[in-house]
Amino acid sequence: MTSSKTDLLQGTLDLLILRTLALEPMHGWGISQRIQQVSGSVLWVNQGSLYPALHRLERRGWVLSTWGASDNNRQAKYYSLTRAGRRQLRGETENWRRVSGAIGKVLGTA
Amino acid sequence: MFADLRFRLGKLLGRVGAEGELDRELRGHLEREIEESVRRGLSPEEARRQAHLDFGGVERAKEECRDSWGTRFLDVLAADLRLAARNLRRRPGFALLCVFTLALGIGVNTALFSVVYGVLLSALPYGGGDRLVLLRHGAASDSVGQMPFSVKDIADYKAQSQTLEEVVEYHQMSFILLGRPEAEQVRTGVVSANFFDVLGVRPLYGRTFLTGEDQHGAAPVLVLSYRYFLNSHGGDTAVIGRSFRLNDRAHIVVGVLPPLPAYPEENDVYMPASACPFRSNPDRMADRNSRMMSVFARLKPGAGFRQAQGDVSAIAARLAREFPDSYPAGGYGSHLALLREELTRRAQPTFLMLLAASGLVLLIACANVANLMLCRLLERDREMAIRAALGASPMRLWRQLVTESTLLALAGGAAGLAIAWTARDLLVAYAARFTPRAEEIRVDAAVLLFTLLISVLTGIVFGSVPALAWRKRVGTVVRDSGAQMSDSVGRRKLRQLLVVSQVAVAFVLLTGAGLMIRSAVNVARVDPGFRPERVLTMNVTVNWSRYTEARQVREFFHVLLTCSQALPGVVSAALAFRFPLDQAAPWARGFLIEGRQIPERAQPKADFRAASAQYFQTIGVPLLRGRFFTDQDHEQAPQVAMVNQSMALRHWSGEDPVGRRISFNGGKTWATIVGVVGDVRQYGLDQAAGDGIYLCIPQVTVAGTLVVRTAGEPARVEAALRRLVREIDPENPVSGVTTLEQARSENLAPRRLTTLLFALLAVLTVVIAISGLGGLMALSVRQRASEIGVRMTLGATPERVLSLVLRQGLALVMLGLALGAAGALVLSRLAAAFLFGVEATDPATYLISSALFLAAATAACWLPARRAAALDPLLVLRTG
Repeated sequence: MTSSKTDLLQGTLDLLILRTLALEPMHGWGISQRIQQVSGSVLWVNQGSLYPALHRLERRGWVLSTWGASDNNRQAKYYSLTRAGRRQLRGETENWRRVSGAIGKVLGTA
Repeated sequence: MFADLRFRLGKLLGRVGAEGELDRELRGHLEREIEESVRRGLSPEEARRQAHLDFGGVERAKEECRDSWGTRFLDVLAADLRLAARNLRRRPGFALLCVFTLALGIGVNTALFSVVYGVLLSALPYGGGDRLVLLRHGAASDSVGQMPFSVKDIADYKAQSQTLEEVVEYHQMSFILLGRPEAEQVRTGVVSANFFDVLGVRPLYGRTFLTGEDQHGAAPVLVLSYRYFLNSHGGDTAVIGRSFRLNDRAHIVVGVLPPLPAYPEENDVYMPASACPFRSNPDRMADRNSRMMSVFARLKPGAGFRQAQGDVSAIAARLAREFPDSYPAGGYGSHLALLREELTRRAQPTFLMLLAASGLVLLIACANVANLMLCRLLERDREMAIRAALGASPMRLWRQLVTESTLLALAGGAAGLAIAWTARDLLVAYAARFTPRAEEIRVDAAVLLFTLLISVLTGIVFGSVPALAWRKRVGTVVRDSGAQMSDSVGRRKLRQLLVVSQVAVAFVLLTGAGLMIRSAVNVARVDPGFRPERVLTMNVTVNWSRYTEARQVREFFHVLLTCSQALPGVVSAALAFRFPLDQAAPWARGFLIEGRQIPERAQPKADFRAASAQYFQTIGVPLLRGRFFTDQDHEQAPQVAMVNQSMALRHWSGEDPVGRRISFNGGKTWATIVGVVGDVRQYGLDQAAGDGIYLCIPQVTVAGTLVVRTAGEPARVEAALRRLVREIDPENPVSGVTTLEQARSENLAPRRLTTLLFALLAVLTVVIAISGLGGLMALSVRQRASEIGVRMTLGATPERVLSLVLRQGLALVMLGLALGAAGALVLSRLAAAFLFGVEATDPATYLISSALFLAAATAACWLPARRAAALDPLLVLRTG
C-alpha cells in the first residue's frame, strides 16, 4: 500500500522535508508527523527512507543537525535549515510549480 | 562541496560516534512512535510491532544512512585490506618473494629516477635557469664553436643584440693567494660584475659583486665558492671582510656563494673582470684578437630561443664583414646553447638508457609477481567462486585482487626506497663523472611521489592480469569442486606468455650487457699511443705578478726541468702544453702548407699541442720519422714542429713530411716539420687520435705542465718534486698532481661503471626471469602429476619423463630467446653510441648470451624435471 507513495521521486521527499523545516527546527519523527498532518494524511512518509534522506541533505549542507531535548524530555536530533537549504528550497519550489503547472496543462489538454 | 567534505570527514573521523548517534536517532524515533500508539490505547507489544512494521527494516535504513554519508568506499577498502593482509600473512613465503622481487624492480627504478630527476628534470639551481644560454662562436667549419671571446667581441654582442637581456663574461685563471699560512693556488673565476645576478644566484653570506666593480680602478673584491669556504676557511663567516693578496694587490672577501654545480668549472674564488691583471691589461682589452673568455646571457622576456639564435647569427655576419682580419676567413658563425642542455649533454643518453633498462627490470618483476599471483589464485579458485556466488560483483573481486597486489607493491616500494636511499651516495659519485649537477641527486618529495606512483601502478597492473584470467569461471569452479587444482587452458597460456616475455626481455638486457662489457674490454685494451705507467704530471704555476717577463718564466722552468732530471728516481722530465687525457678540450686551428694552393674555405685544421725536448721520450710516444725536439730548438733557433701519424698520412701520404714547412699565421712565419710521432689518444681512449701538430715549448710558449717518468713508484718522487719547486720559488704553487695511469683509469671509469650498472640490471632480470621459469615448471609438474603417473605406468622411463619436462621448459625459453634476439637486434642498434669496437649485431655476444641463458634455464628446469621423474606413479594415481 505504501509502495506508490514511497516511489515518490526522491527529490519530492527532499522538497517536503525542506519545506517542513522552513517553519522551525524539528526532529525526524516530528517531520514525518507534520508532513502527514499538513497533507491531510494523503502523503505518508516511509520512515525507512526519511532518515537516509535527512543524512543526505545534511551531507549536502542544506540542513544542520543538533542534539536537543524534545517536548517529552527525551534527547532527539533536531534538524534545521541552513542558508543554502533555504536557497535550495526556493529553487526546488519554483521548479516544482513549473513542472506541476506543465503537467496540469498537459493533462488539461489531453 | 566544502560542506560535503566536512560532513564526510566528520563521519569518517568520528566513526564510532556517528554509529552511536545513528542508533540513538532511530531508536528515539521508534520509541516516540510506540509511546504515541500506547497513548492511543494500543498495548505496548502491539505498539512496538506496529512501529517496526511502519518503519520497515531498521538495519536497512541504517545501511542507507551510512551510504548517504559517502564513507562507504572506505569500509570496503578496509575490508579488502584486512582480507588482503590476512591472505598474505597466511602465505608469508609467497608474500616475501613478491615483496623482494618488487623491491628490486621498484628500487632500481627509484634510484635511477632520482638520478634522472635531479640531473635532467629538475629546474637548474639558478633563478630562471631555463632562459640562460651559452654563446659560442668560431669558424663556420667548427660546429662546436671553440673560439674564446675577446673584450671587443663581447662588447659588440652586448651592444647589438636585440634578444639577449644581459651578456656576461667568464674565464678561469689560476692565481696565488697569499695571507694564509701557506701560499695557496686558487682557481679563480673572473666574471662580469652582474654575472651572479644574470645566473640568478644569491649569496649565502655577504654579497656578490656590485655594478661597477668590474670597471677599471674599482677596489678588488672576492667572492668565495661554498666548497672553498668550507674546506679552506672552515665555514667561518669571519672570513668576510678579510683581505688576501693576489697578484700583488689586496682583495677583500665580500661574500660566499651557495652550493652550485661546478660549472663552467670548479672554482675556489670569483673576482670581477677588472681585478684580473690579464683581462684588464689595456693592450689586451683593445685587441679584438686577444680572446680568452666564455660568454653567458639571459634571453629577454618574450624572446624565443630560435629568435635569439637568428639574432646572434646576424651579429656574427656583421662582425665578419666589419673586421675581416679578426674573424676566421671562409666563414664565421655564432650560436647559442641552452645552459640546462649544456650541463647535462654528456649525462643524458647514458642516464636515460639506464632508466629504460631499469624499466625493463620492473616489467619483468611485474610479470613474475603476476605469475606468482596466478599460481596463488589457482589455490583460491574455490574462495573466489564462493564469494562470486554470494553476490560479489566482478568489480568487487577485481578490487580485492588489486588491493592485495597493491599492498604487496607498496611494501616492495618501501623496500625499494630503502635501496635507492642507500645507493644515493654511490650514484652521486657515478653521476659526477657525467655532469656537474650530480650533487642535486637526492631522494626528495618528487622521488617519493614517483615511487608511490609506480608502486600503485605496478600493483594495479600485476593485480589485474590474474583478475582478467579469472573472469567467467564461477560456474565451472563451483561444479568442479572435486578437482584439487583446476586450471584453464587460457590461464596456462597466459602464464606461459608471461614467462616467454620475461625470457625475451631478460635476454635483451643480457645481450646489451654483453655488448657493453665487450666494448669496455675493447676500450681498456686500446693502445693509447703512449706508455702511461710511472708518469707523473704536475701543474706548476708562476706568480705572474712577479714574473712579468717571458725570460723570467723561461728561466724558472729551465731550472725546474734541469733539477728535476737530476733528482734520484727520475728517468726523464719534460714540459707539455696539453698532455694525453688531461681533460682539456681539443684546440683545433687552421694552418697552411708551404707550396700548396688551398682555398681558404678548405683550409686544413689540426689539434695544437706544445711539448719540450724529452716530452715524447718521457711519455713513451714512438718516433716514426725524422727526429724529436731537442734543446737546440730554443727560442732563437728556427721554428720547428712535429706532426702525428694521422696528420702525416692525411697531408703527405706517400711523401716524407720531414723538411716541409707549415704556417699558423697565414704565411707570416713558417715552422719546419722535423719529425713524425705515433698517434696518441689525447682526448679519450675511445676517441680516434685525429690530426695533431706539436710545437716546441720554448719557441711558442714558455710555461707548461711538468711531466716526469720515474724509475719506481711515482708517488715517491712527488714529495721531492714539491720540495724542489718550493726551493726554487716558494710562491709558485703546485697543483693537479696525478699520474697518466690515473688519468687513464679515470678516463675508463665512466664506461666501466655504466657497464657495471647495466650488467647488474641484466643479471637482476635474468635471475628474476629464471626464477619465474622455475616456478612455472614446478607448478606444471604438480598439475600434470597424474598424467605423468599414467605415462609412467604405461612404461615411460624416468629419463623420458625428465626429458619431457625439460623439453617443455626449454621450448618456452627458446621461443623467448628468439623474440629477445629480435628485440636486441633492434634496440642495440639504438644504443650503438655506447659501443666501442663491437658491432650491435656481434654474433659472438649473441651466442655467448644465449648459451649462458640456456644453461641457467636448464638448471632452473632441472629441479622440477627431476621431481617429475622421481614421482611414484602408484602414489600419484591413488591420490590424484
